[in-house]
Amino acid sequence: MLTYIFKRLLIAVPLIFGVLTLTFFIIRLAPGDPAAFFIQPGISPNVAMQIREQYGLNDPLLVQYLKWLMNVLQGDFGRSFSRAQQPVIEVIASALPITVTIAVLTLIANFVFGIIIGVVSAVRQNSFLDRFMTVGALFFYSMPEFWFALMMIILFALKIPIFPASGLNEIGAEGFGPFGFAMDRLWHLVLPVTVLSINGAAGIARYVRGSMLEVIRQDYIRTARAKGLPERVVIMRHALRNALLPVITLMGSSLPFIFSGALFIEVIFAFPGMGRVTVEAIFARDYPLIIANTFISGTLIIFGNLLADVLYAVVDPRIKL
Amino acid sequence: MMNELRGRLVSEGRRSSMRLVAFFFLLLCVMGCGGGRGGSSGPSAMDSTLVITSLGDADYLNPVIGATVTSSNIFGLIYPSLLQSSFDTSTGLLNYMALEKQLRRGGTELKKPEAALARSWTFSPDHKTLTYHLRSDAFWDDGVPIVAGDFRFSYMLYGNPRIASPRQQYLAELVGAEKGAVDFSRAVTAQNDTTLVFRFHKPVPEYLALFHTSLTPLPEHFWKDVKPEEFRQSSLNQNPLGAGPYRLKSWKQQQELLLESSASANLPKPGNIPIISFRVVPDYTVRLAQLQTGAVDVVENIKPQDFEGLRSAAVPVEIKTVGLRVYDYVGWSNIDREEYLKNGRITPHPLFGSAKVRRALTMAIDRQSIMDGYLKEYGELADSDISPSLKWAYNSSIVPYAFNARKASEMLRDEGWVPGPDGILQKAGRRFSFSLYTNAGNERRNYASVIIQQNLRAIGIECRLEVQESNVFFENLQSRRLDAWMAGWSIGLEIDPMDVWGSDLETSRFNFTGYRNPRLDQLCLLAKEKMDPLQARPYWLEYQEMLHRDQPVTFLYWIRETQGFSTRIQGEELNISGVFYNIDDWTLRPSATLAP
Repeated sequence: MLTYIFKRLLIAVPLIFGVLTLTFFIIRLAPGDPAAFFIQPGISPNVAMQIREQYGLNDPLLVQYLKWLMNVLQGDFGRSFSRAQQPVIEVIASALPITVTIAVLTLIANFVFGIIIGVVSAVRQNSFLDRFMTVGALFFYSMPEFWFALMMIILFALKIPIFPASGLNEIGAEGFGPFGFAMDRLWHLVLPVTVLSINGAAGIARYVRGSMLEVIRQDYIRTARAKGLPERVVIMRHALRNALLPVITLMGSSLPFIFSGALFIEVIFAFPGMGRVTVEAIFARDYPLIIANTFISGTLIIFGNLLADVLYAVVDPRIKL
Repeated sequence: MMNELRGRLVSEGRRSSMRLVAFFFLLLCVMGCGGGRGGSSGPSAMDSTLVITSLGDADYLNPVIGATVTSSNIFGLIYPSLLQSSFDTSTGLLNYMALEKQLRRGGTELKKPEAALARSWTFSPDHKTLTYHLRSDAFWDDGVPIVAGDFRFSYMLYGNPRIASPRQQYLAELVGAEKGAVDFSRAVTAQNDTTLVFRFHKPVPEYLALFHTSLTPLPEHFWKDVKPEEFRQSSLNQNPLGAGPYRLKSWKQQQELLLESSASANLPKPGNIPIISFRVVPDYTVRLAQLQTGAVDVVENIKPQDFEGLRSAAVPVEIKTVGLRVYDYVGWSNIDREEYLKNGRITPHPLFGSAKVRRALTMAIDRQSIMDGYLKEYGELADSDISPSLKWAYNSSIVPYAFNARKASEMLRDEGWVPGPDGILQKAGRRFSFSLYTNAGNERRNYASVIIQQNLRAIGIECRLEVQESNVFFENLQSRRLDAWMAGWSIGLEIDPMDVWGSDLETSRFNFTGYRNPRLDQLCLLAKEKMDPLQARPYWLEYQEMLHRDQPVTFLYWIRETQGFSTRIQGEELNISGVFYNIDDWTLRPSATLAP
């Protein structure tokens, strides 16, 4: 398996590199100018020129590419245009932990709720509860997340003000002590994580239900029941374990989706995470930041897929890599 | 057997789900205690903190290069200024004030100039030398005196092309600028610690000289070791040294910037409110919800349709407005842009080339309905780009073109536009059909564009609506790729329209319409040459008549920008020169639980 992982990693390098090169040229071909902000009445026309010179945008495209290439090979993604010339790596280093926190919490909530709902639906197939959950899951699955987020804010922050509408912490949260601070942070994460996970959980619930129904009809489940095992043990230990095999592969591939979901959740809830960094970088035509973000998301997708494949082999001994 | 088992499983499931519900309930209670909301349980941090929301964060806390709105709001609080300015609402003129001298007398003097660094100034009779006399009791936050050398040093930074300051235009009249580079050995000199001299290469009106020489200074001793090429990357941009009523407490980028009242401040005094927080909340709906729940105190640019909801909010909110500085317009390409781009020849646009056609278009658009439907009392019809708030220059005798579709049709017929077989006007085989472009994400312009489309259709003009991402739209506008568009301008308090209407299309960077009128160029030059702005009034009156007659664009309406204020803020005075104009004088009413 190690050889397999090594091979996949080796292939990943040119792949990511190709994606970055493509991004480099595509964003420069797109209309818009990183110095456009400085083109307005009352600002000297020299400013936009001087800014472009500083960013190295006056060089021919090929020269720009070669310079960029040399820097990236030395691990330097450059400085952000739109964020006060901060090194891009620093911008990402401060944004990534926030998004990772949201993503991990969402992933956990996705799977916990998805599996619970899926198992209950399958065990009580065709009951009222099953139908209710199925309809509910489809309802949430088809709901646009940005709209759902705004509805949640209007409902739970405005009409029934129990959750905060935005931000990571309350004003003066530093004075609550470490426990209070952490609780305040979690309190602020309830709405965004709910919005992000409800959609994913609904999808996973459908998967688990289908796979569970298939497994429950297998001979070995009947055998387990015939042995006189309690139903709970039959479902949890014998059925669920096997039913989860296809679901586990979802874990790797859902990572990029959660990251892209975080894109607007962070804008709506005012979290300074990767999603907001990406959106703002695109609108500001902040080339170095866009490329670095592509690097992060590209790497995540590739590693997510690798993780899915490896996990599959780990949990199912029949698969050999 | 099977049913029994299932029954057991279900009842076990119920029990465990009950446990789960109980656990979450407990968790919520614990969290609720941790996140105690301000105002509901005794004194809280909110009682001493004013929270201002903004769409975006500050960029550099350095007035030489800072360019965002939030940065500018913060500069006014942490940095000292040479003069103080106040906007006289009775005339629309800016007044500049030193401790012992004012440019003008009379009008409303809301703010005493106690924060000004200059005691007084003298202006040479030839209007070419301005000498400031500075006070000697002003200090930076680290205790070092503020001296004339700091200004000289700062102006050299503003003028350094390597630093690319967006405010370098202010140096355009200084000695040497006419040859391409300011000669700092003569243009800005510090004769001693309290005497600062500016020299201009041409006679400059006094108000303009004061305006252009009052750029915010930086402390020389703090910045002198930073090389120009590293200026934008310096960490000092995030840890400023100022001398204003506030100083930086902490800055979590893209989240929250906290200022604390500076206890040692004497320019003019420490701020009344202990902490001011600038919170970044990019989404408008969320900003509004937070204002309604009292989580934030100030939200700028509230949309008219939300006023009702705000007035009946749980936490009382006041809607405040400042003067008229922003207008929307429909731009018509006056020249055949394809011909101009291809051959450099200037010929009239086949559709919008005639002033009479453009006047007809203005009459065909029901501007009043757009205002009634969207802006309500927060709009005013526009006839030119001189704001009614600038009373000294505004021409109030111009009667706006009233909505009159029949007259518009007649005028178009006079110009040879007659209905074709499909009901669309035609002239020499050309249909009156075009695309109206606007930028994405502006609800007001979307609303207006639909009405414009209907109005024009009613007189036989086909107008297709196209929405473009802002960057793309602006680039298309600049490179003259649009025939008709809807956009807006935010005007400065000094009138300087040559960039927008100048006949030389190569140098007038924002003359997107290609409008050319030598008399208008002449009027702008004549007005600029007058040393007293009031003497330039006749030129500006004629200027407005000319724009009204030629309608190079259809001026739609002026927009009264509206701000939502929590009623716990007291002592605020809003001014066209800024919402946070006297923020150091504001106070917060304590929450009910704190009242004796």
